[in-house]
Amino acid sequence: MVLSGRTEAFEPLVTPYRQALLALAYGLTRDREDAKEIAQEAFLRAFKYLGRYDTSRSFRNWLFKIAANAARDRARTKGREAAALAQAGRESPRSPDPESGRRAGEFRSDLDRCLSVLGPREREVFILRDIEELDIKETARALACSSISVRVNLSSARRKIRDAIRDKYPHLEEGQ
Amino acid sequence: MKCLKAKKAIPLLAGGDLSPRKERNVRAHLGICPSCRKELEEYRSALGRAKASAREEKPGDWSEPEWKSLMARITAEKGRKRTAVLGLRPRWVLASGLAAVIILAVTALFVKDTAFGPQVTSPVPGPDVVSVKMVSQETGLQVVWFFNKNFDWKGDKK
Repeated sequence: MVLSGRTEAFEPLVTPYRQALLALAYGLTRDREDAKEIAQEAFLRAFKYLGRYDTSRSFRNWLFKIAANAARDRARTKGREAAALAQAGRESPRSPDPESGRRAGEFRSDLDRCLSVLGPREREVFILRDIEELDIKETARALACSSISVRVNLSSARRKIRDAIRDKYPHLEEGQ
Repeated sequence: MKCLKAKKAIPLLAGGDLSPRKERNVRAHLGICPSCRKELEEYRSALGRAKASAREEKPGDWSEPEWKSLMARITAEKGRKRTAVLGLRPRWVLASGLAAVIILAVTALFVKDTAFGPQVTSPVPGPDVVSVKMVSQETGLQVVWFFNKNFDWKGDKK
């Protein structure tokens, strides 16, 4: 219906996934503002490229794939911005505010702390496979990589999470 | 299977991501190795905690105005897309119009100078012969002298 020009049909199509997509974006970025930006971008892209959607596959996973791409694009942009800021900072150095750093540390969730030990690819794989519960093939498709790559990154991510919980956050292991 | 190999496979086994054949081999090893069994339990516990933490987290939802505004934006995109399909984006319209006017103006000038309109020709062919006509007032006699255009009036030419 949407493809035939009925734009109002898009909203009921994506409404069931609006929270899931936001949760995925938040899982990938750990930032609520970024997550909203990414989810918005994902819905816009989904609408734009709806004609390319393969109806034999899961619509939810297709949306997740778009969101993962949008998150990666955003991370790249932010990386460039951070590099530019660092460059500017080198020219006019400013001491970091230790108080704000301490506060930020206090408000980090348990999952935040665990995920902070993962690299970007490991995080993507871990979130999609273990938190969003896509299977290996779907994860590979969403990240446009091979199943082998997913297994390697997943194995590494789980090992790091296990080590982090055992060594740095034992209270999590005890379930407190 | 030895512990070293089993330990590599345990993270995937903890999430049920091993192939059936590999899983059988690792499970056979786990049956005789308490250390690897303990490691598997640690992985399962860590995964369980991470999943529980994710469930406890509330990343929030869209407020209704936000959601409606997003959907409105998408609809607006559709409008823009349609316009683009017809090739009527404002910038392109302006550029195409300007180009058309310039082409028309140049063509008009060219056509005016060459193809159409009255042929501009010399009204009188250059005189090859000069004539002098004399008429008598009394008798009405007319005497006409014709001179070649190269006629030497002053007698300079020899």
